[in-house]
Amino acid sequence: MDIIVCVKRVPETAEADIIIDSSGKDIQTDHLAFGINEWDDYAVEEAVRIKEAHGGTVTVVSLGNAEVQPVLRRTLAMGADEALLLNDPVFTGGDSYAIAKTLHAALKDKKFDLLLTGVQAGDDGYGQVGPMLGELFQLPSASMVTRIEVADEKITVTRELEGGMGENCELTLPSVLSIQTGINEPRYVSIMGLRKAKSKTLSEVGADALPISGDDLGASGALTEVASLYLPPVEKTAEMLEGDTETVSAKMMDILKKKGVVG
Amino acid sequence: MLSAYHLASTTYWGIPGFCIAWLLFLTAVGLFGMLIWRRYLLIRAGQPDPRFHDIPKRVKDLIVYGLVQKRQPRYLVSGAIHLMIFWGFVVLSIRTIDLVTQGLQLPVMVPLLSSGFGTLYEIAKDLFELLVLVACVGAAFYRAIRRPDRYQGSHSMDAYLILSMISALMVTDILFEGSVYLADGAGPSPAWLPAAGLAGALLSGMETSSLLTLQGVTYWVHLVILYVFLNLLPLGKHFHVITALPNVFLKKTQKGSLKPARWGVEDFETLESLGAEKLEDLTWKHLLDLVTCTECGRCSDNCPAHAVGRPLSPKMLTLHLRAHAYDRYPVLPSDKNSSEGKEPPKMVGDIVTPDELWSCTTCGACEEECPVFIEYIDKIVDMRRHLIESAQNPNTFNPVLMSLERNFNPLGKPNVKRADWLNEVGEIPPVKRLKAGDTVDVLYFVDSFPSFDPGFQPIAGSLVRGLAAAGVDFGILGPLEKDSGHQVRRMGEEGLFQLLMEENMETLEQINFNRIVTTDPHAFNTLKNDYPGTLKVVHYSEFFWELLQAGHLKPIKAVASGDVYTYHDPCYLGRHNGIYDSPRGILSVIPGITSVDMARCRDRSFCCGGADITLWHEIPNEKRRMASMRVEMAMAAGATVLVTACPFCQLHFEDAIKTDGLEDRIRVVDLMTLLVSTLS
Repeated sequence: MDIIVCVKRVPETAEADIIIDSSGKDIQTDHLAFGINEWDDYAVEEAVRIKEAHGGTVTVVSLGNAEVQPVLRRTLAMGADEALLLNDPVFTGGDSYAIAKTLHAALKDKKFDLLLTGVQAGDDGYGQVGPMLGELFQLPSASMVTRIEVADEKITVTRELEGGMGENCELTLPSVLSIQTGINEPRYVSIMGLRKAKSKTLSEVGADALPISGDDLGASGALTEVASLYLPPVEKTAEMLEGDTETVSAKMMDILKKKGVVG
Repeated sequence: MLSAYHLASTTYWGIPGFCIAWLLFLTAVGLFGMLIWRRYLLIRAGQPDPRFHDIPKRVKDLIVYGLVQKRQPRYLVSGAIHLMIFWGFVVLSIRTIDLVTQGLQLPVMVPLLSSGFGTLYEIAKDLFELLVLVACVGAAFYRAIRRPDRYQGSHSMDAYLILSMISALMVTDILFEGSVYLADGAGPSPAWLPAAGLAGALLSGMETSSLLTLQGVTYWVHLVILYVFLNLLPLGKHFHVITALPNVFLKKTQKGSLKPARWGVEDFETLESLGAEKLEDLTWKHLLDLVTCTECGRCSDNCPAHAVGRPLSPKMLTLHLRAHAYDRYPVLPSDKNSSEGKEPPKMVGDIVTPDELWSCTTCGACEEECPVFIEYIDKIVDMRRHLIESAQNPNTFNPVLMSLERNFNPLGKPNVKRADWLNEVGEIPPVKRLKAGDTVDVLYFVDSFPSFDPGFQPIAGSLVRGLAAAGVDFGILGPLEKDSGHQVRRMGEEGLFQLLMEENMETLEQINFNRIVTTDPHAFNTLKNDYPGTLKVVHYSEFFWELLQAGHLKPIKAVASGDVYTYHDPCYLGRHNGIYDSPRGILSVIPGITSVDMARCRDRSFCCGGADITLWHEIPNEKRRMASMRVEMAMAAGATVLVTACPFCQLHFEDAIKTDGLEDRIRVVDLMTLLVSTLS
């Protein structure tokens, strides 16, 4: 089974201070640590596991500048066979649609059985590239996938629905899936493993090499544009509960009930 | 000395005695040579391991730990028994050579033994024969009746067999000599020879012909037992009779350090694989450890992981590895066929389970106790390296290791916030933030947990207050500091450790400082023992003890009366670096303090649970927390305050006290915080 996984390099923001830059449309990133988008990590792990169980190849693709290379190197160390970086300044400023079109152009001549993306990206969180790729490739597609079972010529996947509900669907191959976190436990790749993966192929392609018009790329290919970014307004909602354990727990229960957290 | 030369010239069924002696000798020595060769093939299969540097220290340690056997009396009864048998062997070796060469008609020992030394020697020999006999009986009784837990899983039949053979060697020689005295007409043996005298009394009245027969029988039986004994040694736990002294001589000389991925390989990236996956990935010295184990079980008896029911017993780890090694390198080549067709067991996985490996806290109690200096930590970490490299580590490690790689701390915090703790510890004097080119007397290496963990930050705050109070010129690195790497190295992520070390070394090389002071004994240990060795590092307990002795600090405020303090020796301060007295020194000058030591203190200290694996991986079958056992030990000593010099110990003890509901009986205080509280 030949699998392609699309990944994105994103900043780690969970514990960091977020500062909006002077344009008002992006955040400052010079003080942030970067890595693979969490959802994509699961997608790569799933692809590698399928390869380990059923054979085939795993190719990882990303879009961005040279800073993305370490992210791709890590996926190679996880077990991917080759990596492709679509690197061109004209790609910047694109929205999900422009990115999906670029990826589609780069991948449409490649043979694959599965095309995986993460459900969403940890930074802008649109969650659109996966479904858009399904549409552009005109292939069966499923989102929020939490399980993949491979059989001949088809797969069964479980999709995560609201409230713990699950849905099992059958898809014919090839198909496009967006992978939800928790589908597996992504492996840790040691520094030694990373260095060993240096010998694997990481190729780079610019916009010129892609069968796509420049109008479809980057900002000019985008359908949406970020108007502004803002930080959540600081609200004073913290309340110190005082008294002995009994009183405090009673007060806490009241609040939780009022907020509808518990019935 | 009485002789057996006549036995060599006596004929037995027409064959001269010396021919029989030669036949026995050559057979025994030939067989023994073959066995040793086989064992050598096993040792030779190991990886390189430089063990011939530091010869003066090695010779000294060989005398102290090999000949005087300083560690034996740590277990008084069995230690005394062992010393008697060991020194018996040393003394009686001359007698043995004499007896053997007499039969061979090679009188090499005659000149020595007919000198004045001979008479003295005869007394010593006689005394030791009785002592060894008593020791053997004592050992058998100890084993059979006392039955210490530490012998569980040891080869007891092996022990009894060897003890019987040693006893038989003593008895046959005593009877031989007694009968020689009587039969030679020299009358009863002299009174100053206790063993011969005893035999003489026993055999008096026996006819000369019977005495002569007895002489022959005891001599030949003695020889046969000796040769069988010799050939049994390499087959069981008594191989230590031969390998223990070399093993002590070849012991690790730098405690606290870890072996590199592969000795002699500068750049680990050039290695095919990292870590010990199969037996041959262990070093030759670690294979020598395996064959040297005496199965005394002192390691497991002191192992905190074993004590709380984790699936690790250092002794059994060695015994399982030894059995595996003997399967792979059998004494008889034909043994190999028996396992053909079956998948050979994997060293890591089948012989040693991952949870055994994760159970170890690297506290070093086993290594401190082992009379023959078997190393555990290096082996365990080497096998962990394999687990990490093959992605077989617990999943819970993944975010920790990823965070160290991306953020240079294990807590998932952005490293730019590394100095933010300065704002979290109340009012403190201003702290210099060092950058490249700066000059400072003391570089305070905070490390990750004291920088980011709210439970640890107050200790860093106390350090700053103490340093400022003593007028020390100091500074911190802030975001320029990266995790010291102590944890990752012991978790088995060698590559990540190297990366962190390189990052830190690059920063440290750009700053002019005299010394590094650390909050944490682990950071202290890794900077001192794992880093290239060029750094002058002290733990705060040493540093402040110096300041106190020099009068730069004066504790004036007395602690509240009624409390009894006890100091817990952190493994990486005590056992791994030999610092026991500085922290106790600090305690001793605190006004109004009453302190006691726990029964297990100093080099027998009991690990709190550790600073690495324990934080991120739950070991199955753990019946109790180590910290909970340790708090109990502190209370048993009558303490109401448990003093630590390691933030991780404090964390575990506080947790245990809360979990066990002991808040009104005992509390934990960090040594630094305690000291600072007495300053003004």
